[in-house]
Amino acid sequence: MSIILNGTTGITTPADTVTGNATVGGTLTVTGATTLTGAATLTGGIAGDVSSTGTLAMGSSFKRNRIINGNMVVDQRNAGASVTIGSSAGTYTLDRWCAQSVNASKFSVQQNAGSITPPTGFTKYLGVTSLAATSSGSTDYYGFFQAIEGFNTADLAWGTASAASVTISFWVRSSLTGSFSASLTNSGSNRSYPFSYTVNAANTWEQKTVTVAGDTSGTWLTDNSTGIYLRFDLGTGSSFRGTAGTWAAANYYGVTGAVSVVGTNGATFYVTGVQLEVGTKATPYETQIYSDQLAQCQRYYRGSTPVVVNPVATPSTIFTNSMRTSPTLTGGGTGFTIISQTGDTTTCYQTSSANQNLTFSAEL
Amino acid sequence: MYTNAQYIAFNGTNTGIRCDINGVTSFVPIDPANTDYANIMALVAAGELTIAPAE
Repeated sequence: MSIILNGTTGITTPADTVTGNATVGGTLTVTGATTLTGAATLTGGIAGDVSSTGTLAMGSSFKRNRIINGNMVVDQRNAGASVTIGSSAGTYTLDRWCAQSVNASKFSVQQNAGSITPPTGFTKYLGVTSLAATSSGSTDYYGFFQAIEGFNTADLAWGTASAASVTISFWVRSSLTGSFSASLTNSGSNRSYPFSYTVNAANTWEQKTVTVAGDTSGTWLTDNSTGIYLRFDLGTGSSFRGTAGTWAAANYYGVTGAVSVVGTNGATFYVTGVQLEVGTKATPYETQIYSDQLAQCQRYYRGSTPVVVNPVATPSTIFTNSMRTSPTLTGGGTGFTIISQTGDTTTCYQTSSANQNLTFSAEL
Repeated sequence: MYTNAQYIAFNGTNTGIRCDINGVTSFVPIDPANTDYANIMALVAAGELTIAPAE
């Protein structure tokens, strides 16, 4: 037996029972307790609370967000100070977020630049300020990205026929309006998906959501290398821009014709609440316990770490548990030498025993 | 930017590379998964950087 409700027809008889299938074409409002013993598909939202005495199985995990430090809280390197981006393929700013600029001093990045109020539920944001009116050459690149480790994207099965869709959501605020762009790219720089989003009002926080069908082609690494780059374009040249909303065998950072933030001196571009999750639904930003989020960041970078480094007779072993790989180290004293390194430990010595503030970087 | 690269060694075996990264003295492990090491070796392959032997 099936009952089909295509309008606002109500069932008021308490004893009504559906033993077959029921399809509701309109709105179904249940004010009492509801027991679902079979499979149920709800394509809309549930406005109230949901309780279950059984197991709640989800299509995505509770650790939904593949972006680390998407709420921009952790800033080990700069502790909120502004960084003018040099001419480099990559300058890490807030933890896990790397800025790229082909020319020096075209923009700066600072946690909470401009000191405006973040969106409700957030306390920090990544703030870009354009330092010049820069006309981008065709091969110039300006932007910032997060490289998501392959271990954290392996389940997406990109590069196969089973590639899963992902949904990207974030809050953005800019002094400019119009069609901005971003992209997803692979580590080989030969697969990319540029996409557009519109900033409707200047200097106003707006939340954006983009769903991307997974890439069934190309090579997407699934180890401790880069799995997926999420890039925000700030005015990249035409060679690094392509058509929005389609996968390309190219290295596109953004969309042809998108707004250039670096093209306007003093322009601002702020972002926070960045989330990339499996599926076609943007869920609320997944807030982490701060210590968990810091630990996630420290897999890639550990800021100033005070340690005593001893002479060679009694070398020091420093534990850096679960860094992505053997880290680059700075801060050693006179005669500093590394004996051995892994992602978990560094054994080293220097000429004489002394306190050192060491940093460890295993960024992608 | 990578400059002034030199191997460091312990008991005759190279254990890392000391170099300046954007002007900061850094110690880079010999680990292909380390991004700095990969960048250094790419520069070496391109003839744009030479790594001096360990002292």
